[in-house]
Amino acid sequence: MISDITIGQYYKGDSFVHKMDPRIKILITVLFLVMIFMCKNFLSLLLTGVIVAVSILASRVPFRMFLKSLKPIIPIVLFTAVINIFYIGGGKELLSLGFITVTSKGIFTAVFMAVRIVLLIMSSSILTYTTVPTMLTDAIEKLLSPLKIFHIQVHTLAMMMTLALRFIPTLIEEIERIMNAQKARGADFENGSLTERAKALVPVLIPLFVSAFRRAYELAFAMNCRCYTGGEGRTRMKQMKLKASDFIAFAVFIAGFIGVIMINKIFGVVI
Amino acid sequence: MSISILETKNLTHVYSKGTTSQVDAIRDISLKIEKGELVGIIGHTGSGKSTLIQHFNGLLKGTSGTVLLDGKDIWEDKSKIRNVRFRVGICFQYPEYQLFEDTVYKDIAFGPTNMKLSENEIDRRVRSVISFVGLDESYLDKSPFDLSGGEKRRVAIAGVMAMEPDVLILDEPCAGLDPKGRDTVLSLISDYRKNTGSTVLVVSHSMEDISKIATKVLVMNESRLAYYDTVDAVFSHSEELKNMGLNIPVITSLFLKLKEKGYDVNTDVYTLERARDELLSLLKGGKSE
Repeated sequence: MISDITIGQYYKGDSFVHKMDPRIKILITVLFLVMIFMCKNFLSLLLTGVIVAVSILASRVPFRMFLKSLKPIIPIVLFTAVINIFYIGGGKELLSLGFITVTSKGIFTAVFMAVRIVLLIMSSSILTYTTVPTMLTDAIEKLLSPLKIFHIQVHTLAMMMTLALRFIPTLIEEIERIMNAQKARGADFENGSLTERAKALVPVLIPLFVSAFRRAYELAFAMNCRCYTGGEGRTRMKQMKLKASDFIAFAVFIAGFIGVIMINKIFGVVI
Repeated sequence: MSISILETKNLTHVYSKGTTSQVDAIRDISLKIEKGELVGIIGHTGSGKSTLIQHFNGLLKGTSGTVLLDGKDIWEDKSKIRNVRFRVGICFQYPEYQLFEDTVYKDIAFGPTNMKLSENEIDRRVRSVISFVGLDESYLDKSPFDLSGGEKRRVAIAGVMAMEPDVLILDEPCAGLDPKGRDTVLSLISDYRKNTGSTVLVVSHSMEDISKIATKVLVMNESRLAYYDTVDAVFSHSEELKNMGLNIPVITSLFLKLKEKGYDVNTDVYTLERARDELLSLLKGGKSE
């Protein structure tokens, strides 16, 4: 149950997408999110959909992995869709029941929004499936390094993210272990009223926090012992280098971006 | 002694079935554990020991096969699985990390409270179990987080013992303890069995520890049941055990070495007494090189 969470789940592979520079991947993903919301008609949405599909194929990550990442947001998609159907007016009136009116434009928007959210999740999943979490934070550190002039401690932020990501699986394991131990003593997490179930979590949360703090202290000690003093003067064993293929991928993507803008101009704005 | 309290039939458990990371954690395990035995479960890391014991109280359900408690399938009535957990108590590895209450008393009482016992009964059990693990009653009002590592371990074990399970299972109860703490815990376990007549299962990768207290030994190797027999019988396979990557007792490996050198000795020696007898007969018989 708990291990179904896919945050930071890396899918091992050696495809072109896996080998891309993480900085470029993050840039593309961020721009892609903008692009999804710039789509103003179905044709431009189709183009972004095709780009996502091609990227998924190129990453060679099985499609069911992406379906799995969509599962938790199905309620959100449905909710937005339903809200849109009922609240967007305009266009042909299709159904009218008292205060509820369903219009063609409403349905149109609902479908559009649903597709948008699905594309949003899928495109960011490509990034997390093909990039090791530590590479991600390294890349974020590099991308944010201009902020140093504002005295923002970019390295510290990146290190915190790396550690947080690193400890997600560890803490999940810990939760499972503690839950098993308490279940063995008769704790019941599945039955009872809401308050009873909330109370049942106390025997899990307290040991979890205790061990999280213990781990934090141990880690701090270990880092101190290895003379960690922060980002100042720290060099990397593996330097990130942009390859020709990274530029090509970025260029292709920019072409798609311009394509969306053009399509919007030519075919007009539907939404 | 012939009633088997715990029995498995062709028990198999497969993790992440149907994906690339599919692992057969345990394969086709059939065994019968008799009432009142003290069974040592040994095996290399990843041999399936921990997975196996989690089936005994229904924390895991086998992909196929059954687990019988007193001859009844534990999964017969899914809603009664908690009762199985009260009858088969498991104390996991590093149990001190499960402590959570603000006093030792409340923590030990957690299991019995879940069993919905009366206040008097809970009180009786907490008091009897705390003295059993060798801590006096002044500990009951202390916070479990203020105790030393060894004391925490004993409190955690007491928390499981307080449920007075028919079968007590301990996963690596001596892990991370110093030699003295190790001996204390081992004799505690062995006394518990003698006092209550319950069946006890101890998981360990130290054969030395197991050989001191167990009546029977269960050896897991690569997800399968390799041996399940008396201590003598299992140790007669000392060479095979060594090949499974298990640490055989120092005395046993000494006798293996002697045999390698050409001395005519038995290699199922694991206690000092046996070693003495074996060496004496060797010297008397004069069977050397």
